[in-house]
Amino acid sequence: MPRNSFARFAAPAIVSAGRPEVLRSTSARLTALYTAGFALSVLVLGAITLLSTHSALRHQVDRRVRSESQALAQEFRTKGLASVVQSVLEREQARAALDYGLDSPQSQPLAGRLAGFHPPVGWSVLQMKEQDGDIEPVRAFTTRLPGGYRLIVGDAVKRTAGIEMIILQGFGWAFAGVVAIGLIGGYHFTRNVGRRLTNMTAAADAIIQGDLNRRIPVEGAGDDLDRLAGVFNLTLDRISSLMDSLRQVSNDIAHDLRTPLTRLRQRLETIPRLRRPVEQEEAIEGALRDVDAILATFSALLRIAQVGGGTRRAAFRPVDLKDLGLTVVEAFAPSAEDAGQALSFEGDVQAPIIGDAELLTQLLANLVENSLRHAGGHARVVVRTWRGDTACGVCVSDDGPGVPAGERERIFDRFYRLERSRSTPGDGLGLALVAAIARLHDAEIALGDGDQGLEVSVAFAAAQPH
Amino acid sequence: MKLLIVEDDADGAAYLTKALVDAGHTVDQARTGREGLLLAASEMYDVIVLDRMLPQLDGLAILRSIRTSGLKTPLLLLTALGGIDDRVAGLEAGADDYLVKPFAMAELLARISALARRPPTFEQATTLEIGDLKLDRLARTVTRSGDRIDLQPREFQLLEFLMRHADRVVTRTMLLESVWDFHFDPKTNIVETHMSRLRAKVDRGHAQELIRTVRGAGYCLSGPT
Repeated sequence: MPRNSFARFAAPAIVSAGRPEVLRSTSARLTALYTAGFALSVLVLGAITLLSTHSALRHQVDRRVRSESQALAQEFRTKGLASVVQSVLEREQARAALDYGLDSPQSQPLAGRLAGFHPPVGWSVLQMKEQDGDIEPVRAFTTRLPGGYRLIVGDAVKRTAGIEMIILQGFGWAFAGVVAIGLIGGYHFTRNVGRRLTNMTAAADAIIQGDLNRRIPVEGAGDDLDRLAGVFNLTLDRISSLMDSLRQVSNDIAHDLRTPLTRLRQRLETIPRLRRPVEQEEAIEGALRDVDAILATFSALLRIAQVGGGTRRAAFRPVDLKDLGLTVVEAFAPSAEDAGQALSFEGDVQAPIIGDAELLTQLLANLVENSLRHAGGHARVVVRTWRGDTACGVCVSDDGPGVPAGERERIFDRFYRLERSRSTPGDGLGLALVAAIARLHDAEIALGDGDQGLEVSVAFAAAQPH
Repeated sequence: MKLLIVEDDADGAAYLTKALVDAGHTVDQARTGREGLLLAASEMYDVIVLDRMLPQLDGLAILRSIRTSGLKTPLLLLTALGGIDDRVAGLEAGADDYLVKPFAMAELLARISALARRPPTFEQATTLEIGDLKLDRLARTVTRSGDRIDLQPREFQLLEFLMRHADRVVTRTMLLESVWDFHFDPKTNIVETHMSRLRAKVDRGHAQELIRTVRGAGYCLSGPT
């Protein structure tokens, strides 16, 4: 693989200029956005609260002022001037008292701190001088009493302003808090996510550089990043298994086609030296057989590789193992019979699965051929299909010499042949293809562990009835 | 027959042409897809042999253009070794048959003659008759000189295929594909065993052998000449 072609893809990940890494991340932008959003909503909420509080407070104060005015006016009418003067003086001494004033018809102040201002009748704001010289605004209501007297009741604006200030301060703190929490949390969040993404990027860079065994770290939090990493890793597993199978095929071709090709070459070399046409013809036919055998091996290897590639899954359809089993047994039985062997089928129920009928037929044929070839002269070979609750399967068994326990797993390897079978025909690829087809179907292969004969079972997930 | 070979490899095309001319066919050659498309549209051919891998225009694209232009000439698609998905793609695109490279010349010859169009009545006939051999496709019965022959279902299919391709060579692979739907090459001689049983049932006791083996190619069923 040319490295240069990778470098092109790697380049954008390495370039980083301008702002620090952490500020350019998606999480930083998102946190900033959310913080700004929350801060804005605190501001709006504060403004609304302040406005409504202000109007509620003013309303309340106004009601109190009015009702005081009415009570005192009533007292003036029933009990007279002296009583009201007395009341004003008393009430002014109370805690959190309102301010009062009583003016005579000649505008002479009679009692109370608001007397002598001569405000018009109704609402007005009076600028009252405090004892310490400060000017304090008072919102006052002036009532005309019988006989030209004027009653003024008011409340310091400062008191409601104080409450509003407290609310304003509260929201101020809340605003600062939101911004602070947003910034601190965002920083940590961004740093955490950024760290994990950096790890991922580093792993991906390493893979691009050729280290196909690197995997993206999974933190175990089970969150979306972990899931993403998991999916990436599965993809990488798949890629690396494809690379492996590619490498395997190249090696196989290099090693295992060399021998027959050498033999072919030698055969061809001898042909010109052969004198008799019959011998030449025989040699040519032999060479053609060699070529056919080489092509068959080549084709089997490619087929295994293609099946391993998994593209055939797209063509999966409902198929019935029983039908396939019957077809295969029926096809091979006459040949077996002629060779003194017996091939029979057992299976009385349909065994529906989802798969590739063509490849499954080949799987069955290869298992049957393997048994017929290696189980010996009078072997009995049985193909049995079965159906369980969740699985369907096929089992091919024979009563031949079987496979030694230590070698059972290896019979599915490419080109693997038992010592005693070396002299029998076969390319050592039949069962490898069986294994590849089973893997494509996520099927499980099991070997019987009896001493006698070979029993290969392949279990598939049963097709769900519609 | 008049054939069109669309093949970009000069050596391969020359070799193919020579073998086909030797077998008694007239052959036109096209080296590119465009040329092939042009020839296919302007001349009447019995069979077109099209290489799937062509420079400029993909073989499948040419195949589709041929079919969309309404041309129904039987077409055999040649593809490189090993593409197990190619067959379906080729047949879906409108090929009538499919052969994987490298192939034996006998296989190609047999397939070309199998593809050549028969009189339409022959395809629809419910009974096939070669010499004194009669096959009833509806009743699923076979008689020879009036005597009933009992055949297994698969043997019946085999015989039907042979009779439909009477006087033409039928190869082992053709039988595997069309009778058993096996698209791989079994190491066991299953075709040979079934054929020998079929021949025993059809020809035993008769002076005239209808089914004969064509060495290095396959089988041929033909009536008395």
